[in-house]
Amino acid sequence: MAKTELSRKTKTEIEDSSSLKGTLASVFLLGFFLVITWIGVYLLFVSRF
Amino acid sequence: MFNPAANLKVDRRDGKLAMAHFYVAFTALAIGGLAGLLQTLVRSGKFELPAGIGYYQILTVHGVVLGLVLTTFFIMGFQLAATSKTSGTFTKKQRITGWVGFWLMTAGTVLAATMILLNEATVLYTFYAPLQAHALYYIGLTLVIVGSWVDGAAIIMKYAEWRRKNPGQPSPLLTFMSLVNTMMWIVATIGVASTVLFQLLPWSLGIVETVNIGVSRTLFWYFGHPLVYFWLLPAYMAWYVVIPKVIGGKIFSDSLARMSFILFLLFSIPVGFHHQLMEPGIDPAWKFLQVILTFLVVIPSLMTAFSLFATFESFGRAKGATGLFGWLKKLPWGDARFVVPFIGMVTFIPAGAGGIVNASHQMNQVVHNTIWVTGHFHLTVATSVVLTFFGVSYWLIPHLTGRKLTKAMNKLGIIQAVIWSIGMTFMSGAMHAAGLLGAPRRSSYSEYGGAAQAAEWIPYQVAQAIGGSILFLGIILMLYIFINLAFFAPKGEQEFPVGEAADEAEKAPMVFENWKLWLGITFVLILFAYTIPFIDLIQNAPPGAKGYKLW
Repeated sequence: MAKTELSRKTKTEIEDSSSLKGTLASVFLLGFFLVITWIGVYLLFVSRF
Repeated sequence: MFNPAANLKVDRRDGKLAMAHFYVAFTALAIGGLAGLLQTLVRSGKFELPAGIGYYQILTVHGVVLGLVLTTFFIMGFQLAATSKTSGTFTKKQRITGWVGFWLMTAGTVLAATMILLNEATVLYTFYAPLQAHALYYIGLTLVIVGSWVDGAAIIMKYAEWRRKNPGQPSPLLTFMSLVNTMMWIVATIGVASTVLFQLLPWSLGIVETVNIGVSRTLFWYFGHPLVYFWLLPAYMAWYVVIPKVIGGKIFSDSLARMSFILFLLFSIPVGFHHQLMEPGIDPAWKFLQVILTFLVVIPSLMTAFSLFATFESFGRAKGATGLFGWLKKLPWGDARFVVPFIGMVTFIPAGAGGIVNASHQMNQVVHNTIWVTGHFHLTVATSVVLTFFGVSYWLIPHLTGRKLTKAMNKLGIIQAVIWSIGMTFMSGAMHAAGLLGAPRRSSYSEYGGAAQAAEWIPYQVAQAIGGSILFLGIILMLYIFINLAFFAPKGEQEFPVGEAADEAEKAPMVFENWKLWLGITFVLILFAYTIPFIDLIQNAPPGAKGYKLW
């Protein structure tokens, strides 16, 4: 008979395959990029006007 | 969801209609691309145009032929093909409507292009009054717009037919998206059609002496901003629906995709003032309101970014990817149908960031009328959108002509996109940098009387010429691939990839198909954002302007 550990391992993999943590990290990186660009030009604006 | 109307292959007669649009689009790419190359060479200060051809004439050619002709023809061709594929072959009446639209647009294009080439309409792509073109130029542009409405009518008729035959069912996603974009286009172009027909045409014919500049510019930008979303939404169609199928994955959510398109319909139009933030005659409070609405239109783009990341990650993890970014490695990096639009998606990150800066009310002072803005829309439309259109062409052209994308052409397509990216990094990067240093847009080479500040811009202008030259190589390569796929590639079957939703059981809410509701909200938002400032512009108008021909 199959060992019980095997079925436990499979379960972990299923959980991992539906994970969207990479998406979460990606949208955060995207958000940081937007904020940094905006602040960069904002500082230029404040220093000029 | 099973859709009996959908075709495995676009009907040959519908394919011909779509291909007619693509022939004009790629001819425009050749002409407009050459004009763009010449512009960057002139602005480097190292070259002069021969035979007294003016810089502003080729600037007009570049803007009109690429910004209006290439885009509108490609988009209409793509949407017609997508509707025919997903909602079934056009009826004879619908197809004739499409052909009438095509010929109206083509006749208008030829008329407008002739007037530009005769140097009778060097008014730049925005045709701002008081620059005054020959009346035939305005008539040509009107025909392009009216033709696009007739073209769009074919899509609306097909959609209505599908809904009649499938009561209670949400329409096929690609048809739904084509319809939203068509409706947004029709509502938006009413503005530009009004200024052309009621202001500019009578003025250029001498029927009226003067024109209200504030009103004409407001009507132009009422159209001008949804115009950029009209370019972008077909790229989003490919990103949401086609790319998941190309990589072998699923659409993250059908409903999310529909909702983001509805949000674009609502928020793309009442935002034109963010192009007029530095203009007098409009109360700052109304500008601020439209700035807020502009930031609302960021939301569906962020939803799109999330949805795409999720599609890619789900696909990668299903293939056994682990870790935070392991899924990136599982994507098909050798497939031009994926790689080329993917470069477009990545480009949209800096492109969108720049757009948020542009629209930030007072901050617009840093970049207004500088070449930063030119750099910005060369990332949005000339990279994100155009590379996606190229990526679509690699399967759509052979699909419609009964040919196949060969391995060699696939490889060439990827090389083309890499060349494009390198050229655009130089050109657009230099434009952004020079713009922050104050270099103006829409202007020929000048040393500005030896001013020290102007001298700072010149190295960036040389970099723009280097980038422009690399981009022109990319255009030659693209034209070669297009001609190969249209006429010489081996005969065969090329798939039209249409993705399926990850959750097949999920039925998109029918409220998304309630056009009375969505068009109603669209009109309410437009009336709210525009009525009072528009009355102000008319009631408190300065004396009108007579026409100028400065070329």
